[in-house]
Amino acid sequence: MASETNTLQSGVSKALRLPTSAADLMRQRQSLKTELLKQTNLIPARIAILGGSTTTEVKGMLELFLLAQGIQPSFYESGYNRYSEDVLFGNPDLWNFKPDVVFVHTTWRNVSHFPELMQSEAEVEEAVRNEMARFEAFWEKIHAELGSVIIQNNFDLPHLRPLGNLEASQSFSRVNFLQRLNTEFAKYARSHSRFLINDIHYLCAQVGLNAWYGRTYWYSFHMALSPAATVPLAQNVAAIVKSVYGKSKKCLVLDLDNTLWGGVIGDDGVQNLILGSDHPVGEAFLDFQRYVKDLQRRGVILAVCSKNDIENAKEGFSHPDSILKLEDFSAFKATWNPKPDSMREIAAELNIGLDSLVFVDDNPAERALVADQLPEVAVPEVGTDVSRFAEVLEHGHYFEVDKIVQDDLNRSAYYNSNAQRSSYQSGFRDYGEFLASLEMTAEIGPFSPVYLERITQLINKTNQFNLTTKRYTSAEVESISRDPGFITLYGRLADRFGDNGLVSVLIGRVSNDSVELDLWLMSCRVLNREMEFAMFDALVEQCQARGIRKIVGVYIPSKKNNMVAAHYAGLDFTGLSETSGDRQVWQYDIPQTYSMRTRFIRRAAQTVPTVAND
Amino acid sequence: MDQERKSMTREEFLLQMDEILGLRPGTLKGHEKLEDLKNWDSTALISLIVMAEDNNSVPIAPDQVVGCSTVADLLRLAQVDGSAS
Repeated sequence: MASETNTLQSGVSKALRLPTSAADLMRQRQSLKTELLKQTNLIPARIAILGGSTTTEVKGMLELFLLAQGIQPSFYESGYNRYSEDVLFGNPDLWNFKPDVVFVHTTWRNVSHFPELMQSEAEVEEAVRNEMARFEAFWEKIHAELGSVIIQNNFDLPHLRPLGNLEASQSFSRVNFLQRLNTEFAKYARSHSRFLINDIHYLCAQVGLNAWYGRTYWYSFHMALSPAATVPLAQNVAAIVKSVYGKSKKCLVLDLDNTLWGGVIGDDGVQNLILGSDHPVGEAFLDFQRYVKDLQRRGVILAVCSKNDIENAKEGFSHPDSILKLEDFSAFKATWNPKPDSMREIAAELNIGLDSLVFVDDNPAERALVADQLPEVAVPEVGTDVSRFAEVLEHGHYFEVDKIVQDDLNRSAYYNSNAQRSSYQSGFRDYGEFLASLEMTAEIGPFSPVYLERITQLINKTNQFNLTTKRYTSAEVESISRDPGFITLYGRLADRFGDNGLVSVLIGRVSNDSVELDLWLMSCRVLNREMEFAMFDALVEQCQARGIRKIVGVYIPSKKNNMVAAHYAGLDFTGLSETSGDRQVWQYDIPQTYSMRTRFIRRAAQTVPTVAND
Repeated sequence: MDQERKSMTREEFLLQMDEILGLRPGTLKGHEKLEDLKNWDSTALISLIVMAEDNNSVPIAPDQVVGCSTVADLLRLAQVDGSAS
């Protein structure tokens, strides 16, 4: 049965990987959808597509790509070119639908007024402001009344240029006007966290304008894009939705020989590796390393999975032209064991799920083995030509994020510090002695405005140490943080090796003299550090301050959170009779004299302002 | 180049139509009325046009498809297997 599932997933994901023929996808749509719907644990998402053109094809493709990401969409579709009216006049069908995400599929054809020929710079500027005011009123109403995340197309380029090359330079030209609008859209996105751009300005260039538009489809069906262009569009939107739901990948696992450099380090020696700008293939390897380094800088964790002697493998990074250095990798597996075994070890070492890994290897046999043995791991078909590796990775949209926060940029440092801790741990007689020596300090307090983005991010991507796996939007987190009917806590943890950042979140719903824990999660980077004890102590303190005597804990089993199945039992909660297989309920009566659980973590004062309750 | 492209056979065309409509391979025989087919809608129509563009040397125009009432009409339109009228 398991192998059938593997075959299904592998076959389906292969069919949905770009570049993919639109004809093949459209032909197989029904059968692909049927297969994809057989997946378990799909995350439901309510998506409103508000179109400036016909959106049926967009919806069909988007459904496939979202299902392939483990997200099961239900859709609301506006009428043709009714995107604005549906919102501004409050279509009750849209309001009743309560979308989690609103995707606004507009193109340059939906600009209401382009500048007139020869209009002055000031007049063009005013036209930009007017167009922006129209869009902003529309977005603000969505945010205020629907509370949805907005995914908004920026503008593609028109395929005709009445002004010829002057379109690029004259301020009154359509091309220039669209570029200014795109700049304004980007500014709006920077100042509104729940507003994300679907960059069709880039996509139309990538696809090519001749393929982006389809005359037949526009004149017959008012489809703004050709069916072929609808495929990358849908994949791009699906990637953004995936990032909103915290389903992006976290770690890039790389082979070494003929993947990061040309040649075999064990046979050729570091001096004979093909790497550097003095050789056409060596330059391509250099460019791939540069791309990988860029990913690492923005928060993607790097790991090595190579069949090599470890000393040889490490020596490769001493090549004078190597952009990647040993310290860029948070896990390093160079052994002669089967690669699926090493991949499991990497995931365990980094405390992340196998489904957070993307594996790049030039060897098709190794890719096939990992894809077959570990269907959760993404294994892009990179081929053997290094000059295509980065492009194939890009097309997979594995590491799409909806925001970058400081914790992302520090991620490699956190994991590298963890490696240092592991090595340090081996010198101790017992684990308690090790924990004591870490000199841990926790900052725990009610949600603070400065942390709301990180808290939302953690809520939407933590799967393992997560008692209920409930997901919340930014608006919900903000609202809860202001609601006196809730107890909220965040926890940061630092130790002698560095600051782990914000790693734990707890939300409890207060009712008379009890609080029910809707959410309790912790990043796996601080597992087995007793941070959960520190959070529990802080929770009890909050309860005592508010006269709460009873804590109700809920555990909802998922495919991934088995590690916390005994969490409440371990904290001396009592299982209640309303417990069922899908929802286990536990209770803790706070004693008159509570003894702190924390043994090794010192509490530090909260240094940031909390959210004022309404 | 186009002249070198090989047109689909009648059987290939029907199999691809089966797939577009989510039917078991071999379901369509050619005599079926389009209005009786469960999944025959605008999405299927566009998929058919794309399929013809991709496989066939004879492009199909949307307004021509709208005038078809049976699968046999579609076969004639695509000039599949000598079905041209």
